[in-house]
Amino acid sequence: MGEPVWGPIQQDIVGLLADHPADVPAVVDHLTKLQDMLVRLPPLERSCPLADFNQLYLVITSTVLDGLYDDRFADPVFLARLDVEFAARYFDALRYWTESSPNTPRAWSCLFKRMRGPDARPLPSAAAGVNAHINFDLPFALVTTFDSLESEPVDDSDQHRDYLEINSIFAERIPELRRGYLDNWQLMIDMLNGDIDDWYQGELVEYTRNVAWRNAQKIWRCRHDPHARECERTRLDDNAAALGRLLLSPLGAFLQ
Amino acid sequence: MASDVDSPPLVGRADRVATLRSALLDDVPPGHTAAVFLTGESGVGKSRLLREVGDGLRAGGALVLTGSCLDIGDASPLHPLRQALRRFDAELAATQARTSSTVRGLLQVFTEESAGPDGAGALLERVSRGLSLIAEGRPLVLVLDDLQWVDRSTRQLLLYLLAGLGDLQLSVLAAVRTESLQGAHPLRRVLTELRRLRSVRVLDLAPLDRADTDRLATAIVGRPLAPEAAELIWRRSGGNPFVVEELARDVRDGRAGLSDTLREIFLARVEALPEPAHAVMHAVAAGVEPVEHWLLARAVRLPEEELIEAVRAAVAHRLLESADDGYRLRHRLVAEVLADELLPAERAALHRRYAEALTAAPAELHQARLAHHWRLAGEPARALPAAVAAAREAERLHGFAEAHRHWSTARELAAAVTGPASGVDGVELLERAAETAHQCGEHARALELLEELARVSGAPATCALHIRRARYLAAAGRSAPAEAEYRLALAAADCTARERVTAAAHPAELLLHLGRYADAGEQAREALELAAGAEGCTSEVVLASAALGFSQAYLEDPDGGLAVVREALETAESAGRPEDVACAYLHLAELLTGPLNILEEGVVVARRGAERVAELGLGRTYETRLLAIATNGLFRVGQWAEAEKVVAAALRHRPSGADAVELLLARCRLSVGYGDIEASDRDLDAVATMLAGGGARHVLPMLILRAGLAMWEGRHDLARQAVQRGLTESRSDDVIVLATLAWHGLRAEAEAHASRTVAVDERAVRRLREVAARVAGKGEQAARPVRYVVDGFLALCDAEVSRLDGRGDPELWGRSVAEWDRRQHPYPAAYSRLRQAEALLARRSRVATAGKLLRQAYGMAQALGAEPLSSEIRTLAGRARVTLEERPTERRHVAPRPRPAPAQPAGDELATLTAREREVLAAVAEGLTNREIGQRLFISERTIGVHVSHIFDKLQVRTRVQASAIFLRNGSD
Repeated sequence: MGEPVWGPIQQDIVGLLADHPADVPAVVDHLTKLQDMLVRLPPLERSCPLADFNQLYLVITSTVLDGLYDDRFADPVFLARLDVEFAARYFDALRYWTESSPNTPRAWSCLFKRMRGPDARPLPSAAAGVNAHINFDLPFALVTTFDSLESEPVDDSDQHRDYLEINSIFAERIPELRRGYLDNWQLMIDMLNGDIDDWYQGELVEYTRNVAWRNAQKIWRCRHDPHARECERTRLDDNAAALGRLLLSPLGAFLQ
Repeated sequence: MASDVDSPPLVGRADRVATLRSALLDDVPPGHTAAVFLTGESGVGKSRLLREVGDGLRAGGALVLTGSCLDIGDASPLHPLRQALRRFDAELAATQARTSSTVRGLLQVFTEESAGPDGAGALLERVSRGLSLIAEGRPLVLVLDDLQWVDRSTRQLLLYLLAGLGDLQLSVLAAVRTESLQGAHPLRRVLTELRRLRSVRVLDLAPLDRADTDRLATAIVGRPLAPEAAELIWRRSGGNPFVVEELARDVRDGRAGLSDTLREIFLARVEALPEPAHAVMHAVAAGVEPVEHWLLARAVRLPEEELIEAVRAAVAHRLLESADDGYRLRHRLVAEVLADELLPAERAALHRRYAEALTAAPAELHQARLAHHWRLAGEPARALPAAVAAAREAERLHGFAEAHRHWSTARELAAAVTGPASGVDGVELLERAAETAHQCGEHARALELLEELARVSGAPATCALHIRRARYLAAAGRSAPAEAEYRLALAAADCTARERVTAAAHPAELLLHLGRYADAGEQAREALELAAGAEGCTSEVVLASAALGFSQAYLEDPDGGLAVVREALETAESAGRPEDVACAYLHLAELLTGPLNILEEGVVVARRGAERVAELGLGRTYETRLLAIATNGLFRVGQWAEAEKVVAAALRHRPSGADAVELLLARCRLSVGYGDIEASDRDLDAVATMLAGGGARHVLPMLILRAGLAMWEGRHDLARQAVQRGLTESRSDDVIVLATLAWHGLRAEAEAHASRTVAVDERAVRRLREVAARVAGKGEQAARPVRYVVDGFLALCDAEVSRLDGRGDPELWGRSVAEWDRRQHPYPAAYSRLRQAEALLARRSRVATAGKLLRQAYGMAQALGAEPLSSEIRTLAGRARVTLEERPTERRHVAPRPRPAPAQPAGDELATLTAREREVLAAVAEGLTNREIGQRLFISERTIGVHVSHIFDKLQVRTRVQASAIFLRNGSD
């Protein structure tokens, strides 16, 4: 309860998080403002590990927004809601962290802890963020989205195809951002998930995103059962946190 | 020791208490609703605050009803409300017999409710009527604790009442555990949506700060604390009031407390209890709260005096709370802590005793509780009939989600029962589980269960199963596979004549959804032929005729299709089933006002139909829907006053769900046209409240209205946001919505351009033009009626774009006028005339035509009652010096002008100026250049220069700044 977790940018962050973006343009706006704040966070400033993730996430979300405007998706209502709901989980995690709440998902706190140092390499930092966001946040965001649309996660539906379309956005954007690192990603993931058979093409995002869809279907079935839902949440949090810690460990550094 | 039974003082929450009181009572305007959702971690004092605020509101003259949600996943629908009513009834004094009988009357509604068409909506209506009787004109406050466990029916009731549909002045105060809102809790999304509304607040209850922690600890200990003790309490409690209280007690009683989490504290407290009190705690933890005294006595089996002694000890240790209706644990965490302490056999024995006691004496939540206890007692055979009864009861109250859960439990129980002793038909369980899943929107689950049903022996026949599967698929919005299922049904060998008609009629409608109009027509004809040879197929005839009518309308043989639907109405009337008649009217009215665009006749049919179905006793459902169609038709033909009456009549039925949303939007459309901002905002908030419960797909009309409203308020930024959101959330094949959004967006940018105060968003303009182009491309392939509507909006889009390029193209606006005149839609037609006149005036060409257009536009706008539009026309006419031939009687509608009116009496220094010179000076004072002033007043830049030099001369000044200063000094406004 001593010093505010965000140091000199505490007020800015609290002010930003007081708002809850309602649509994708507002989410992009929020991420942009957040990026400007994160790179001012001492002592790391421009090399803030969370900024590495936030930048990647901003680029992805902007691309999704362009896709929505350009008629890229079959069910924009679904995708726009999902995008907003997905981002809301990231902002929630930041809010919990800001309040030093014990409810901060462990999947996120392993990355948040590194914000004030020691320095982490940009690629593992971004990867740890992607991990928390996709492996932990995404299944819940999917469930909430389907719930609010009075629809359900059905394989091969328009929604499923749109959801998978995001994979191509990641595929387009990641090499562009971190050109040449994909081989290392593959290696890393092969190590972490050595026993997974359906690992093909070696793309972390595509693989984990499919896992997230399966997890969402699993949670969907037990969403009215508070106990089962909570078990599922803890399980996902633990898994994502373990993977996140590994990515941020010295082992993760070889990704660079 | 005894003093601990009393509540410790409420520390550090004075602000909250005051905020809540004003948010829920003092600041709520009469007839409005309000809600506060209090979130916070366990032990932070939510329940305590609810009690405190509830008492305050009661003292302030409100009627306060208090209930809690239960954590047994299979509670019964609307349980918290029913509990609140029972508690309230128990509190009523003997002198309040009249209120008491009203309360019992409402409770009776729940007992007597029976399944029927639109049952859920009708129940909502009855409940809100009952509540308003009980309130007797007082503001009503519903206080709900543990909302994280709320059932779906209660959630829907809350949204319905908060949207104002129950016509009740209601405030809701509810507490939610923060921990529960993580993950995928259904309330999460609801709260996110609601918190955007002005009438709703989501307040997080934070732990106490250091000073309040010390204050609370001091109050409990009864003397100032040593600094190290205070520090210890602060560090270990983190300001959680519950933990602070317990740690302070340890300090006071000289206990060396080692525990600093709630869990550890409870464990230590329970350990310290005497043996019989220990047993009481375990019994209450295993029970369903509140546990009545007689029931507890049966569960713990202690002699009466010992039992009372034990209860007293548990209460004194602040683990148990005692109220009139029974015992509750001080905190639900205690139950979780104790759960690990009992041996499974001990726990089962407790549940068995509860179950046996309840079997003998019916009590609240009877069947649900019986099923719960027998199941946990390890007696599936005895739990099964109770689960089935609970499921049926939930169905009776239209709580299909809860019913589905009970049926699922029943299936599990039946599987655990060995032998045929169960006496319950497994196939029936499966059928009911599937049907209730379908009814509560769990389509995938319903289909899964149907697969299972197909495999068991004694399953329904193949054809029936196909029809059912098709029905579920269609409800899930999967039209193509649903259509295929009907095809399989038709091919099935065991298909009866009746089923054949059903399986032929329904796919016609689905083909229409899929845009396969010709196939739909063919399918409908086939169904009608089949129906001609079968008895009692009126519903199918109506359905197929409507499909045929629409397909003909889309395929450009409107008259043929219309005749078919009219005939279907006659068939329905002579067969006499009310639902068929109502459906036929509905289809006919939709056909006329929709694709055929024969609005006047459509409105007449809708209103005649509404009367007829009201006679037939279907007022709530079908009359409401028909009146909604009439309202929208009347709006379009410009009979707004009539539309207003009709929508008010429709809302008197207190509709719910999608019908309510439709009517609120219709009323809001009128309010936006009238320029009644407050009423518009209120309806938009009500719609948002309804949509918070699900159905985000109805969000687009709401966004379009928001944009329209924001434009009249001069809030281009808000209009822009609403349009942007709409564009990112509409399907590319919904060309009508996209065209409407594109127009609103371009209009907002054009107005920004004209206002000179807000910069035009060039990217947005580019995007909007792309959307318009895309819509134009897709519109060409769309059906004729769709194209017809889209073309009107595209004409508006083109014309708005010309405003962005410069002064607006009078020819493009003229085209838009013609388009909307052709559609007999006076509102956009009048708007287009205004803009055409503006464009002509800006070019200083055909001034007489411009004047004529303005007068026409003004006449149309005045006839509608469209105040903001009239006011814009007046402003332009004033600047262009066009007389609108306004009759003096109409002056009272005039709203304040947006700009300072030049004709107002000016101060002495300005007395020498002519009216025109004053107008020019006002513009100079705004900082406009001569060129800009010329554009505004439709005179040349040079003439402005002449005016300005005259002004300087008369005022004896040399600069624009000096002239402006004089203008401002002399009461420019």
